[in-house]
Amino acid sequence: MTQDTPSHLSLADLDDWLAGNLTPGRREHLEACASCQQLAEAEHGLVELLSSLPHLDPAPGFADRVMAAVEIPDPFALRAVATWWQRLTSDRHRLAVAAGVMLLLLTGMGGSVAWSLANPDVVPGIGSWLSGEAAQWFWLTLRGLGSNLLEQPWYTAVRDAAGSPARLAFVAGGASVLYVTGMLAMRRLLSLPSAEVAHARP
Amino acid sequence: MADPRPDFAAATDQEVVVQARLGREVAYRELVRRYERPIFSLIYRMVRDRELAEDLAQETFVKALNAIDSYRPEYKFSSWIFKIANNAAIDHLRRKELSTLSLDGSPHAQTPEAMQATALQIGDRLETPLEELEARELGGEIEAAIARLRPEYRSCILMRHVEGRAYEEIAQILDLPLGTVKTYIHRARNELRQALAHLRE
Repeated sequence: MTQDTPSHLSLADLDDWLAGNLTPGRREHLEACASCQQLAEAEHGLVELLSSLPHLDPAPGFADRVMAAVEIPDPFALRAVATWWQRLTSDRHRLAVAAGVMLLLLTGMGGSVAWSLANPDVVPGIGSWLSGEAAQWFWLTLRGLGSNLLEQPWYTAVRDAAGSPARLAFVAGGASVLYVTGMLAMRRLLSLPSAEVAHARP
Repeated sequence: MADPRPDFAAATDQEVVVQARLGREVAYRELVRRYERPIFSLIYRMVRDRELAEDLAQETFVKALNAIDSYRPEYKFSSWIFKIANNAAIDHLRRKELSTLSLDGSPHAQTPEAMQATALQIGDRLETPLEELEARELGGEIEAAIARLRPEYRSCILMRHVEGRAYEEIAQILDLPLGTVKTYIHRARNELRQALAHLRE
């Protein structure tokens, strides 16, 4: 090959030609060069042949087999409820048991409402007795916790450390520094990597 | 149940994926409907065994759909699922070291029935027996030539010229530099041209 002879079409040129983007200079060469024309025609024929290859069908039922193996998320539990209901209604024995349980519950609730309506003074009386008992237990527990705290061996040391404003400020400052250091360390440990991660293979 | 397709006829893949993430089974089915043929075809042309291709295609869909939450919408869904399919096929080829493949059916088939069951069916949509015969011969030649390519070349040429994917997308799917993809495709075309030269004469 001499400097005067333009080089034959490269594979990149053939790509451009197939895409209809061949530059005018290269097009001029193609129109004049029998060897490049032959190559371009062969490439064109091959690409046409490849693009005419048909898509093939998987066996019937392929989609159903895929769907049977896929775990579909159910964020509102709607499908779970629907499945449960379908399972329940498909079996007469199960349905009868469920209806019996439901009837018992409804009868109990109805009886309870009827009794409350018939005895309007009893329910508020039970309510006030229960709230009085609960308040008594709450204060007793609080007093027990308080006396337990006062009896701890470290209680006096802590009280002395917070005894003056300067000491209190020192302890609070130390505690804050420890807290901030701990938070920074946690954040560093839990942060995602800063570099881009390649798309993961599931 | 009503036909799910009208719901998603005009929806993009990304929109269907959003519905799938909400747990809509019809959206999952729509994704399978859209990609079952291209994915099965790609895998079949990689492994050349119908039964195995079905298993690998099913594995591909199950992997992709079970990991739908990890799909990043800035990528094309098609690139994502083709990547999983190609990995499944290449992994299988590496495991089994299938180098030469038969158009007449699975190389593992033991009986004539098994050979027939796993064989590639070409030209089944043509009008006359003559057209069908010609297409079978021509299709058989090109399929055989593709089967003789190295697996990496095969992936590239199938995605470029059968599936019509752009070079950049193929590079993304195969995790290869753009230049390497172009080189593989050029070499594959070169080999195919040589293998099919007798058809032009």
